[in-house]
Amino acid sequence: MPPLRRRRWTRVEYDQLVEKGVFGSEDRLELLDGVLVVCEPQGSRHSGVVDLVREALERAFGRGYYVRGDKPMALDPASEPEPDVAVFPGRTRDYLDALPSAPLLVVEVADSSLALDRVRKGGLYARAGIADYWIVNLVDQVVEVYREPVRAPSRRHGWKYGSVKLLKRGAKIAPLAAPRARVRVADLLP
Amino acid sequence: MASVPVSHGDQTLWRLPRVRYERMVEKGILDSDDKLELLDGLLVVKEPQGSLHSSALLAAHRELSRAFGRRYIVRPGLPVALDEYSEPESDIAVVPGGPWTNKRRQPAKPLLVVEISMSSRAKDRFVKGGLYARAGIADYWVVNLVEEALEVYREPVRAPSWRYGWKYGSVKLLKRGAKVAPLAAPRSRIRVASLLP
Repeated sequence: MPPLRRRRWTRVEYDQLVEKGVFGSEDRLELLDGVLVVCEPQGSRHSGVVDLVREALERAFGRGYYVRGDKPMALDPASEPEPDVAVFPGRTRDYLDALPSAPLLVVEVADSSLALDRVRKGGLYARAGIADYWIVNLVDQVVEVYREPVRAPSRRHGWKYGSVKLLKRGAKIAPLAAPRARVRVADLLP
Repeated sequence: MASVPVSHGDQTLWRLPRVRYERMVEKGILDSDDKLELLDGLLVVKEPQGSLHSSALLAAHRELSRAFGRRYIVRPGLPVALDEYSEPESDIAVVPGGPWTNKRRQPAKPLLVVEISMSSRAKDRFVKGGLYARAGIADYWVVNLVEEALEVYREPVRAPSWRYGWKYGSVKLLKRGAKVAPLAAPRSRIRVASLLP
């Protein structure tokens, strides 16, 4: 089957599509590097774990940080992903008028979406310079911690994370942006 | 037709329904230098057309206008409302009526579709051919400018292994010396040579 050259979208256009009502509320979409992608349907376990992560990060970061769950963010000119949880500096009130960008930490909760979260989103997050990216891996019951974005010409987006750590239930993580806080891996897992 | 997710590696691409594509066009979201067609929910970029392609399009337009006469209109490069998720811009689509018959909506089921094909051959044969077959287009021609022949596709049949589940059961390759009559205008004979450079 011949490859089809698909029309790619910019974030500005994507926002226009949303505003002008081309998408309905039943469409769960993300814009990833110009491509409109259907969000994985979320089971109750997935959304429950997202809440666990949000709560744990709110405790760890404390006041002065905005921990945002399941909402879009402006990643780059052609990407508007909806990470499961993202942490931004400041307060909720600071982000009423525009989408937040430049998160301090992004967390994805992954079961069936593991490959997407590791490779494709990981590449995009690395390219955007996100310094701290965690995947709560429900399949293997570990938290994968990705840091140190580096160029990787062979990868789809040209970037990857240079450092990957797998942390088991007994471990603790200090977010790069809240180095004195300790997040227990067990608090992030079901 | 069910909305089948299109998986693309590890991600599921979103399929755009035709009515929403039309809304995008109406609201001016797609700019005018976007050369696009909607193929089974994906917005696909059209290849730029060279002068040979343009000439072949004009030749097919003239021959088919003659063959079908005044009760039909031969639409060059205009949108066809093919199915719930497709609005291709076929090089030629022949529909009953005149210029204003479809002023409110794009026509749905042309009697004959023609694509002029050079670099787009694989797409015209397999992608568009499959879509046209699934939509029940009875007569589909590809003017093959590479091999200088006319491919005539007829008799849509189910083909589960094909991308869209359908293909054409009958394929004929007509050379320059042959003649062809459209299924919907069986008494008109068109010389294949008149469609080729």
